[in-house]
Amino acid sequence: METDQLSSQEAIRYKRQIVIPAFGEKGQKQLKRASIFIAGLGGLGAVSAYYLVAAGVGRLKIVDKDHVELENLNRQILYSTRDVGRSKTESAFEKLYALNPLCRIDALKAEIRKDNALELIGDCHIIVDATDNLETRKCLNSVSVARQIPFIYGGIDGFTGMVTTFVPGDTPCLECLFPETTATTKKVGAMGPIPGMIGAIQSLEAIKICLGMNDLLKNTLLCIDGMDMGVKKLNLRKDPDCHCCGNLTNVRTHG
Amino acid sequence: MDKTINVVINGLKETISENTTISQLIVGYKEGDVDLIVEHNGRFVYPRKYEQVVLLDDDQIEFINPNFGG
Repeated sequence: METDQLSSQEAIRYKRQIVIPAFGEKGQKQLKRASIFIAGLGGLGAVSAYYLVAAGVGRLKIVDKDHVELENLNRQILYSTRDVGRSKTESAFEKLYALNPLCRIDALKAEIRKDNALELIGDCHIIVDATDNLETRKCLNSVSVARQIPFIYGGIDGFTGMVTTFVPGDTPCLECLFPETTATTKKVGAMGPIPGMIGAIQSLEAIKICLGMNDLLKNTLLCIDGMDMGVKKLNLRKDPDCHCCGNLTNVRTHG
Repeated sequence: MDKTINVVINGLKETISENTTISQLIVGYKEGDVDLIVEHNGRFVYPRKYEQVVLLDDDQIEFINPNFGG
């Protein structure tokens, strides 16, 4: 007997996605069983967290070390003017819980580093990258490869954004693309709708992984240019000599 | 005088010296980002191969700057 039956409240709340044949009640239950880690609660994380909680993911773990600043509010749509100065995790937890109290949200104010990334990610099935620097992304990528869990990379800069899903053993990893060890953290310009689009795509990828769906952004870097509305798909390849993932063989995704 | 070849870089026709590698092209075009993404004739090029890939006549190159903001 299944232990994760949907309640009548859940059946109503998620009705508009349950009616989609490719999703259905089965998909809702799969989502309910999922644990997703979101690294960072800035422009990308605010959007992906909102959609994942709204969709009814079973457990969301959100981690960020920062406080809300006034300059965040052009794009970080989880926060309001009155949140300035509060910790992002506290403020985000409040909004996300209000949106969907059925979703378990673990909010942790912490810096993600090489020595704690594995522990922070814990038993989550998927990593959503919403960080703002390559160094932290490399910490997340190491855990993704070591634990063989999908890592959904997203990044923005001004009017442009890019996103891809790394599945260890099946696709390149972040280090195949960016083997250099640059540790610079620079604040880039950000047009609000760009992290909106990229964060939304990341949340969709996460949902599709939970459902075991194909046609993910695997081996494909989707690049969006908001200036000319150009969309480019770059075909990626796993580097067989990658120092991080080069020795991995094919694995299945969660779902 | 060096022999030249014609290539397309980010959609624009350019004339460059024969036997130019991707590494040399990156330097020549002042694409300074060490994490630059390069597509050569529709294929992603591993960064560690930039020094080995020699461009040929009619090759197409795309330089894509990585986005690391969040």
